[in-house]
Amino acid sequence: MNFFRSEPMRLRSWAPKAASLTWRLYDFQLTTYAILLLLFGLAMAYSNSVGATHTTLSPGSPFVRYLMWAVIAMVVFLIATMFDYKWLRTFAWPIYFLNVGLLILTLRIGSSTGDAGTSARWIVIAGFQLQFSELAKILMIIVFAAFLTSRAGNIRSVWTVIGTIIILGPPWVLVMLQPDLGTSLVMVGTLAGMLFMSGASLRWLGTLVAAVIGAVPIVWENLHEYQRLRLLSLLNQSQDPRGSGYQLLQAKTAVNAGGPWGKGLTNGTVPLPVQTTDFVWGVLAEELGFFGSMVVLVLFVALIWRLLVCSWRSDDQFAVLLGCGLASLLLFQVVVNVGMVIGLMPITGIPLPFITYGGASLVSLMGGLGVLQSTNLRREPPAW
Amino acid sequence: MSVQIEHPSVSAKNVYRFGSFGLAVIVAVAALSVRMFDLQVMQGQQGYQISQGQAAETTSVPASRGLIYDTSAGKGGAVTHTALVKNIPNFIVEIIPHDLRVADKPVVVRRLASLLKMDPIVIDQELDGATGSLYDPIVIATNVDTNVARMVDENQDALPGVQVLSEPLRQYTNGPLFGTILGYTGRINSEPSAAQKAAGYSQGDFTGLAGLELEYESELRGIYGKETVALDSNGQPIQGLTTSVTPPIPGSSLTLSIDTHEQTLAQNALAWGMKQGAVKMGSIIVENPQNGEILAMVSLPGYDDNIFAQGISQAEYQKMLVDPTLPLVNKAVTEQYAPGSTYKLVTGTAGLQDGIITAASTINSQPYIQVGTEKFYEWNKTGWGPLNIIMGLAHSSDTFFYQLADRVGLVRLTYWAKQLGFGEPTGIDLPNEATGIVPDDQWKQIAKGEGQTMFKGEILQAGIGQGFDASSPLQLLNAYCAVINGGNLWTPHVVTSISDPSGSVTPVAPKLIRKLPVSPQNLQTMRLATRAVVTSRHTYNLVELPIQVAGKTGTAEFGTADRYGRLPYHEWFVGYTPGDAFNGNFYGTDSQLAVLVFTYGADTWGDISTEIVKYYLWTHYNLRGKPTTQSLAGHVNLWAFKRTNFFGTANNH
Repeated sequence: MNFFRSEPMRLRSWAPKAASLTWRLYDFQLTTYAILLLLFGLAMAYSNSVGATHTTLSPGSPFVRYLMWAVIAMVVFLIATMFDYKWLRTFAWPIYFLNVGLLILTLRIGSSTGDAGTSARWIVIAGFQLQFSELAKILMIIVFAAFLTSRAGNIRSVWTVIGTIIILGPPWVLVMLQPDLGTSLVMVGTLAGMLFMSGASLRWLGTLVAAVIGAVPIVWENLHEYQRLRLLSLLNQSQDPRGSGYQLLQAKTAVNAGGPWGKGLTNGTVPLPVQTTDFVWGVLAEELGFFGSMVVLVLFVALIWRLLVCSWRSDDQFAVLLGCGLASLLLFQVVVNVGMVIGLMPITGIPLPFITYGGASLVSLMGGLGVLQSTNLRREPPAW
Repeated sequence: MSVQIEHPSVSAKNVYRFGSFGLAVIVAVAALSVRMFDLQVMQGQQGYQISQGQAAETTSVPASRGLIYDTSAGKGGAVTHTALVKNIPNFIVEIIPHDLRVADKPVVVRRLASLLKMDPIVIDQELDGATGSLYDPIVIATNVDTNVARMVDENQDALPGVQVLSEPLRQYTNGPLFGTILGYTGRINSEPSAAQKAAGYSQGDFTGLAGLELEYESELRGIYGKETVALDSNGQPIQGLTTSVTPPIPGSSLTLSIDTHEQTLAQNALAWGMKQGAVKMGSIIVENPQNGEILAMVSLPGYDDNIFAQGISQAEYQKMLVDPTLPLVNKAVTEQYAPGSTYKLVTGTAGLQDGIITAASTINSQPYIQVGTEKFYEWNKTGWGPLNIIMGLAHSSDTFFYQLADRVGLVRLTYWAKQLGFGEPTGIDLPNEATGIVPDDQWKQIAKGEGQTMFKGEILQAGIGQGFDASSPLQLLNAYCAVINGGNLWTPHVVTSISDPSGSVTPVAPKLIRKLPVSPQNLQTMRLATRAVVTSRHTYNLVELPIQVAGKTGTAEFGTADRYGRLPYHEWFVGYTPGDAFNGNFYGTDSQLAVLVFTYGADTWGDISTEIVKYYLWTHYNLRGKPTTQSLAGHVNLWAFKRTNFFGTANNH
């Protein structure tokens, strides 16, 4: 309770603003694009429900579960919009340790039916699979934004880069231990984007990239066999048509079968091994065709554009970096996931934002976007 | 490194970095779009071509097997068809060992066991005992309930390596009633023969093994399709990567002349009589004399063909194979027995047509006929004095027909037997038909050795359906049908039409074996003689039925004599009604219904086959409603079913 008394400035930002001002500050475009992408996700969930043996509207079908998570995500989005984002900066460290704690919990009691016999990726609570690594992606953006804001004065120092790597270390190792190569790559990609946008020294960033490439052989040694196979299958797709390469072949078959206009929702026929998750783009491309796929890609670009615009308008470095972090996250996931399905990227198990069925992913993402809307509402009103 | 909230939050927003980021977005998404355009628009909708050098395998796609229908007379003359066999899905739960990790195995086995309600140890044994490749599916359960199969199929995530297959299964709607007629199918378990390969069979295919399923295999099977599937590096088919498909053509369906209702009546009658007389084997055939259509055919004991469809155990099958009552055999068609007195039809027809006797001339029936030192007795040991052919057959006088056979001679007797269809298969569309035996000198030389000819005593025996004579129940009935219909020996058949999948129906036309070279008058005499069998009360109270019935009894000794020199005997009866069963007569040839009953080893006082025919006609014509104990007493000689202790008094009549 002391926080409220000691920070009267904070309390002021809770004070009601003129409705017209809120109206002007709120970014309706961002919300619209997000909801449109949600609807595409819902459509794919519907398609997967029809394809599967479920009854479409029965409890437990992908469609109904997606719908439920979408509602939860919208509620989280609204709450995050109303909530003053500046508190996140205040509580950045508790958030960081909460994040690490949840990842440790996942490792301790988590379960998985994935392809590795010993993996532990999610926790089942009240019948729901909660994948905390999805939440970690968003929480790490908050932590990095807070840290990089605090480094504003000496942002070009090498310690800025080293500091973020030290912060990234524990959660990154915990995610790799699950083992979840995809999420760990997303974390690195997001951090890289945020460092770049924060104005960190390109010299040191370049050095870091060189160091990472130098570390590849060492990392390779420590990769799980299936992770190696996934990377290898990108290089030689015909080697294991039944394993990762098989998935790729099937995904390309599906994309190809879609043609310009697609077969229509629920009419996809090419069987995809994990079509509700990582390879959902294959189903989307087959059923909605080239033009449908382009609509979705353009929506992603529009959303990233709005994130950058919000960032650019903000006068708070923390808010700027939050927007850039989310933009980096979205860009990285979209490019890697879609690129994977069409054979441009290795198979890494990175979900496609909004479209991939996954409760934690959806809720975290919408929460992140809500935080960004919160920054919109709480910036100084524009001069116009 | 601490987070400082009081730090001023004004920092340069680098326009170049924002621009670069925007450019990165554009470039990345443009790259994705170009690739998508290339895959979806440039390469078109052809479907992804399988990369060069990838192995492919051509597998056959089973065709849906044809069905079999009966023909029933519905209300108001409408004809209805009911399916006697259907195809239903058989769900099979399999495990592919390669896809089931060792670490997951205990959990998966436990889950699967609880779903299938099996003992987990059984699944473990199946898995651990398999010797094939890791990719070879191991069958865990067959005939899995639809709901359970669906549940297993829907829980693929929790059951890695488990898959559910569906294969067609034959379901016989009236299994025990049509067992030996319809037969059953089974898998080709070994490498198929050259002929089978040429016909497109491969190992594991289903093929007809008995009954109509065997006889009409080529029609029912249809034409299997072909599917070429790409193979992965392990030689396993990749699902969904199908390059070419030749769709299968479903099999044709059969429509039978058999009526389920008639079949039920016939089976009820036979089962009733066999139970009353404690007989172990028997058969009943109902035929339309006008065209050879079989209206009912039952062989007891039989089997339920569903036990084969659902997979019979080896032990169970062995038990049925060695069962002395031959449950696997259609005894109406496949087995041959001494026809006994029913065969007097042949001797009588021969005598009349060869001019040895006329309808009016008489032969003296005696207590016995002496051949050398051997005496051939009349069945009642006294005889009836002079008898014409009508009364000779009516009393079933053995000495009458001994003398007649002697006068006809072996050559002509054989000739007339063969004219009536004895000694050759009738050509019915059921497998494994018996040939029968019409003994002559040539036959005896082959059967009994060089230089053997028929003795005179054996010729006399041949004249009354004893000795070497042997006939299947079907041959005997068919011979009577030829006399009944005025001289046309038809090929009996059970299939009346074949419907191909396009819906066009090919009727099976009745096939005439031959027109008997017998004058209509002589055939009429034989018909009147069979009527006299009934009116003379040789068949006891059969004449009291309110319908017109004619027929001939038969009692035939067989096997080995007991220590008193007494032989066990079969009992036969062939009966038929005129076209108008209530008011018709036997001068005409319009009969639509002929029934034969054969009971094996029926050592009873009366001829129980006659009683079974009576029971059948009663229910067929619905004479007094359903038979009850009270009504039975008035119409059926229940005493006829009493087993006799002294053989030799009731035989050969």
